[in-house]
Amino acid sequence: MTFRLLQPTSLAEACAALADAPDDAMPIAGGTDLLSEIRDGTSVPGTLVALDSIADAVLWGIADTDDGAVRIGALATIADIAAHEGIRDRYIALSQAAAGLATPQVRNLGTLGGNLNQRPRCWYYRHPLTVCLKRGGDRCFAVQGVGKYLCITGGDRCFIVHPSDIAVALTALGATVTITSPAGQRTVPIEDYFTGPDVDLMRENILRPGELLTAVTLPPGRAESHSIYLKARERESGDFALVSVAAAIGATDGVVTNASVALGGVAPVPYRAVGTEQYLLGRAVADVSPADAGAAAVADPRPLPDNAYKVPMAANLTHRAISILLAASAV
Amino acid sequence: MATIPTTRLSIVGRNAPRRELPDKLSGAAQYSADIDLPGLLHGVIVRSPHPHANVLGVDASEALALPGVRAAVTPADAPSVWLAPDMPVLDTRVRFAGDEVAAVAADDLDTARRAAALVRVEYEPLPFVTDPVAALETGAPAIHPQGNLAIPEPLALQRGDIDAGFDAADIILEERYHLPTHSATPLEPRAALASWEGDRLTVWKSTRGVHVDRDVLASVFGLDTGRVRVIGPNMGGGYGNKDESRMAVLAAMLSRRAGRPVRIEYSREEEFVAGRTRHGGRIDLRIGVTRDGDITAIHGDAILDSGAYQATAPRVARRAGQGMLYLYRCPNVRFDARPATTNKPVSGSYRALGAPQGHFALETLMDRAADAVGMDPLAFRLRNHVPLEGQAGPRLTPPDEIVDGQPVEGGIPFSSNGLEECLRRGAAEFGWDEPFERSDSTDPFIRRGRGMSMMIYRGGVGDESAAALSIDTEGKVRLITGVMDVGEGAVTVLCQIAAEAVSVGYDDVLPHFADTEDTPNAPITAGSTATFSTGTAVMQAAERLRASMLAVAAERLDASTGELTIADGAVFVCDGPGRRISYAELARAVEPEQLSAEATVTPGSPDYIVNSFGAHFCEVEVDTATGRVRINRYVAAHDSGRIINPRTALNQVEGAISQMLGFALSEELITDEPTGVTLNGSYLEHKSPTIQDFPSITTIFADVVDPVGPMGAKGLGEVPSVGVAPSIANALYDAVGVRFTRLPITPDRVLDALRNRAKGR
Repeated sequence: MTFRLLQPTSLAEACAALADAPDDAMPIAGGTDLLSEIRDGTSVPGTLVALDSIADAVLWGIADTDDGAVRIGALATIADIAAHEGIRDRYIALSQAAAGLATPQVRNLGTLGGNLNQRPRCWYYRHPLTVCLKRGGDRCFAVQGVGKYLCITGGDRCFIVHPSDIAVALTALGATVTITSPAGQRTVPIEDYFTGPDVDLMRENILRPGELLTAVTLPPGRAESHSIYLKARERESGDFALVSVAAAIGATDGVVTNASVALGGVAPVPYRAVGTEQYLLGRAVADVSPADAGAAAVADPRPLPDNAYKVPMAANLTHRAISILLAASAV
Repeated sequence: MATIPTTRLSIVGRNAPRRELPDKLSGAAQYSADIDLPGLLHGVIVRSPHPHANVLGVDASEALALPGVRAAVTPADAPSVWLAPDMPVLDTRVRFAGDEVAAVAADDLDTARRAAALVRVEYEPLPFVTDPVAALETGAPAIHPQGNLAIPEPLALQRGDIDAGFDAADIILEERYHLPTHSATPLEPRAALASWEGDRLTVWKSTRGVHVDRDVLASVFGLDTGRVRVIGPNMGGGYGNKDESRMAVLAAMLSRRAGRPVRIEYSREEEFVAGRTRHGGRIDLRIGVTRDGDITAIHGDAILDSGAYQATAPRVARRAGQGMLYLYRCPNVRFDARPATTNKPVSGSYRALGAPQGHFALETLMDRAADAVGMDPLAFRLRNHVPLEGQAGPRLTPPDEIVDGQPVEGGIPFSSNGLEECLRRGAAEFGWDEPFERSDSTDPFIRRGRGMSMMIYRGGVGDESAAALSIDTEGKVRLITGVMDVGEGAVTVLCQIAAEAVSVGYDDVLPHFADTEDTPNAPITAGSTATFSTGTAVMQAAERLRASMLAVAAERLDASTGELTIADGAVFVCDGPGRRISYAELARAVEPEQLSAEATVTPGSPDYIVNSFGAHFCEVEVDTATGRVRINRYVAAHDSGRIINPRTALNQVEGAISQMLGFALSEELITDEPTGVTLNGSYLEHKSPTIQDFPSITTIFADVVDPVGPMGAKGLGEVPSVGVAPSIANALYDAVGVRFTRLPITPDRVLDALRNRAKGR
């Protein structure tokens, strides 16, 4: 395979290069996902636009902002995020998601932006011999095949799950995403960033040609709020989540005052567990049944023939997360 | 004294450092893919995208037109020679998605890959079958002309009368077990480099037996074996698995055509898809017991998934049954097996072949049998394990014939049998009888359980083996054998045996292995036989060498051989202080051939079964929230006779257990049934356990010195892999009350089982 490598020195230059060749150019940072896609033939870009040659500060580093928020540049590595003390102190769900992701090698190379924009792991999508809907083929192979890793809600012709651990944690933490294009910047809540196959079979987010995800901002942490990220997997390292849960809960005077719960591995996008949140909000901590909170996590699940196990897994993992957080908030 | 002393050992039984370690640590060690030759070309194999198809035509002209492409070979170029009973060099029929169709060679790998993609193959897709049970049904797509049974006749082995045995039973237990296909995942993908000089062919290959490869290559190219040289460089993980023969043949065909050396190295995905997998399949097992806990009958019936070709299916099928036939004292046993070809990646040899599959069924159903008669699993096994005297019944092997390592008949004792010691010492180390807390005080989802298994395996009796020893004028001992060190440490262990047997220091033994040019014919390194069988040859060669040394020394020292003793690199007159001659002096005094000896042996014993044994104990922790199983603690007790090198032996035990955690809990090479393609041929998706998943393992070696084995040793390498899955499954039952009958026991299966159990109540 051959491709052209561009090394722009400014964001404007990079965005312009991407906008010039919307079907041909792709941005590359750590390359942990894109290079394997190229090797497998899943992706065949003619031009790679390297981002690490850009000095623009917005892309780099992890910084406190004046209003108490934390801004993470898209080129921060997963290892940077995992090791950052401020994140560990105030947004531990994100810290845990980063620390438990993939392998040390991937964490050292992989970036925040790349992690959020990585493509699905569905093996039919990745396999050179099963050209599926997402690659312009005429069918989803998973519905007749092996769907154990796929979604239990939100599937529509395609049944991927979003593979990012980070995205789940950021959803529960209420992060916003900064998007840069030749036209300027826009900021969206992370929940609005990801899109399912019902919106567009060929993509998993709202980025338009020429746009780059440049930063993520975490809102000022609430003093009373605790968070957690739990991940179920088949082995301890180098594994994507079967199901994961990120939860942030706060209680004041013995009553749950904020509850934000997101699940990974159950839907084509990070899934907001609205049922659990509604169950928790306004309830006296003493009256919370973590089992009931967990049972409400996924509304109306529709598993494939071989992934019904994700229904109890999501409920149990949410149950555990709530138990741990409530025990911590009681201390 | 020509007899080799086997007490007061100086190097056997010690942690002699691995011979190749300095080179491996420094990076100087060369593996097959590291070897470079002037003008080297890179070969790439063109593989079928279809699970089953006729190849109507192969057109390599476009590939050959690409600059830098030097050769292509297609089925039309292939000599009509069979590499195996059902595998030609290249065929106009492909039998799995990944089967070899053609090959190209180019100046560099990228060009070769591009060229491979340009080879135009016209396929006529055929109906295909991926399930071995369906493959044996009438009307299934015929994969080979001889049908889908991968052996000429179904295997049927019997001792006693199972009908009578089941009639005598108070309780009959039966179960159907499902086994996965999984990959050995060697870190080193297969590689072969072929180079011609005139009509002489040299091949470097990642292999388990250089002489077997030489014979295949000689037959394909119609050469005397003397014109083919096969060399086995360092190997990055063998597990008995590197037994395919096509890749070296294709490299040699390309090399001959291009007139330049050609290397083929598998990609990681090729290693998964076109390597060799463990046979999956299903086993139906019935066991009859009396209320007192005696076993009256055992009947196993296996259908194994051989994949697209037979490969080693006969041996795998045979080995799957040995536990059922012999691990328990029982007069009435039967084992039936039918390996079936399917349109899937080729199954072959992988650490202990079928034994882990057979023992999974046997040892989990035996736990149920113990439960059914109200006995503790350990007590049940202590009562029923096969004793030193072997099984009841008439011996059928003629009296002077070597006893097979996998007998069916009774009437033959074992040379040694440390099974009871393994059970007792393993249980004591584990604390089997101590109180145990199954729940967790901090997390109600956590459940713990304990389980055990025992195992029986061939003790190392292999095919005819040979070794040569000689003393050089420096007083060094040269050890020459054709056997291949597949990464397990055969060179080290055989050097230790030679050093001990010839009474020189370990560092004074200079090994030369695995080169058909100048090493004697050797069997494949398989079946845990290298230490025992080649070790026996080393011992016999040493006896001869010692006799020669005494004869030469007697003359020089003016003494009778009876007055002489051999120690520490010299020959002494027993009562004459100062009357000694060193090996170096001996060697300088005579022609070299006078101080060299060879031995070719048929290993084994006409009087005894030589078998190795073990007992495993483990504690598991199940997270019932996520279905995840972790092993908290593992104790492995093994009888492999005297341990030649405790450290390499420990590596084998710990390596086997760690490797088979994947078989038990996470690994499966998955073929998509609708399309026939392999879905997860990668380290990411074929989920081998990581270092973080490995438990702490305590290893015990029984205090057994085998009377037949060289220096008292028996085979070890595969044995610890046999009992891992059943000990874990039994512990899972103890933890959550579910009998798992399908491997691997992945989180989804655990959660599904817990949900089904909850529904059943």
